[in-house]
Amino acid sequence: MSIRLKVENLEKIYGEGERAVHAVRGVSFATEPGEFVAIVGPSGSGKTTMLAMIGGLLTPTRGTIEVNGRDIARLRGKELAEYRRQKVGFVFQANNLLPYLTARENLLVMARINGSDLKAARARADQLLEELGLAARRDALATELSGGERQRVAIARALMNDPELVLVDEPTASLDSARGKQVVESLIAEVKGRDKLGLMVTHDMAMAEMADRVLEMHDGQLVAHTVAARG
Amino acid sequence: MIGFLEIRRRKLQFALVGLIVTLISYLVLMINGLGVGLNEQAGRALRNFDADAIAYSDRAGLSVIRSELSAETVERIEAESGARESAPLGYMAVNYTRNDGKVKSAAVLGYDPGTIGEPPVTEGRPLTPADADGLLADRQFLRASGLKVGDTVRLAIRLQEREFTIVGELNEGAFFFQPSVYMLRSTWQEMKYGTNAPGTPVASVVLLKGDGLAGKRGAGWEAVSKSTAFANIEGVSGQQSTVQALQVFGYLIGGLVIGVFFYVLTLQKTPQIGVLKAVGATTGFIFRQLLVQALLVALGGVAIAVPLAWLTNEGIKQVPDPVPIAFTTGTFVTTSALLLLMAVLGVLFSGRQVAKVDPIIALGQQQ
Repeated sequence: MSIRLKVENLEKIYGEGERAVHAVRGVSFATEPGEFVAIVGPSGSGKTTMLAMIGGLLTPTRGTIEVNGRDIARLRGKELAEYRRQKVGFVFQANNLLPYLTARENLLVMARINGSDLKAARARADQLLEELGLAARRDALATELSGGERQRVAIARALMNDPELVLVDEPTASLDSARGKQVVESLIAEVKGRDKLGLMVTHDMAMAEMADRVLEMHDGQLVAHTVAARG
Repeated sequence: MIGFLEIRRRKLQFALVGLIVTLISYLVLMINGLGVGLNEQAGRALRNFDADAIAYSDRAGLSVIRSELSAETVERIEAESGARESAPLGYMAVNYTRNDGKVKSAAVLGYDPGTIGEPPVTEGRPLTPADADGLLADRQFLRASGLKVGDTVRLAIRLQEREFTIVGELNEGAFFFQPSVYMLRSTWQEMKYGTNAPGTPVASVVLLKGDGLAGKRGAGWEAVSKSTAFANIEGVSGQQSTVQALQVFGYLIGGLVIGVFFYVLTLQKTPQIGVLKAVGATTGFIFRQLLVQALLVALGGVAIAVPLAWLTNEGIKQVPDPVPIAFTTGTFVTTSALLLLMAVLGVLFSGRQVAKVDPIIALGQQQ
């Protein structure tokens, strides 16, 4: 597993004419395999929009997003679904678990969608839940989990199909700092251990400093590009 | 799998949806059952005749009540129609007094033993030519009158009254909206006309068996198919139009309610559909989950409604004056299939909405 991401002149404009909103303006950057990159910036700076475009949830207005040399900005329909399913693991800010499923079943949904072997998927789900400290809660319904537990299940779900690209939107928003740090460390370990790429949008500078690099956005533009001290 | 698990975990919600499907299915089934019941009441006995065509007097306008055939006309029908077999049959309406003192009417059919006019006996014995005072009674007559095989009953027409012994039970159904009883044609002739003298009409109609008989006519007679004969029973055509309209509206409204219900149910899942798409599920995958869910719920609803309607029918049959209701396998199959189809169509209609759901909604908000 060795993933390279190259974003060039990425732009996203919502609306048209006088009502047009430039959410992302000409953002360019590239990553190396095994990197964990934090994206910071104030609310409305375009960081989640950029993450959504890289994750194939939004179509860019202009620019390219090359994943291992393939421009995913041009993908549509089934190809885009396949990209999201096989390459991307997305952790949403609102965790978005299916409320009527247990923690384990939420993970197994990924295997169902991907058509993976269920026996192996069950073992993988149990392993991920164990790693994230949720082994005892695997049969609890999503609605019975605390905010922090739900967020960790969401992270486990994102890693379920062993994606090369792990995109995380404010993963620690509902966690205390100790648990938040632990979760980000798990994500970094997963990324580095398998030469994946991690992109994390966060407001929490303490968490951002754990990344290899920090991209700072303001008004849709990349205004700073910092290599973290630990990187 | 996801659809099935959602049903298991959201029991109350899906039980309520299932209840709606059950009630709609039950309503549609009952409307159909009442329609079929009314038709049976109109003339199941006529439909059960072992005949391909029925010959009437050509002056009767295909009315069994007004059709009277002389011995000569019956002979001509038998000779000219080309029927393989034939049997003259007499009809009249009589009154009888029930155990509770109420006067009720019954349809009397007079036949000759050994001909195609003879109905099959389910209990007791058939009439023999010696049973001038014997009677075969349909089970509907026995239930309504409270009588049984071996009992006697007095049948009255105009000023005459005559006592008969019920020797056998039939399951031939009603005739002209009345329970039917069968007697010897000679007895029928005596009761209806007061005499067996030559020149007295000998039958109301002639049952004919053979090919291509419907539409044939001769001097003083005309033959029609059983379905035409049924449609010409007094009041039946108007009744059938009403029944058919009820059935069509039942299917239409019932089907639409179920279809719309599943459509709305699918639209309510938009946020979850967005999440599934965001994690890579194709529209087809999501669609299959919704379809399985709709089919399971609709199947459950129909599976409850069918036996419920059947039990209602059985219950109604037990009362002395039952509402005419009847079910055929066809009614159950058609109604079930149609309602299941509408549930599927409801999901299919939502297919475009499912395809249009943007996975970006999974983010909850955009920055």
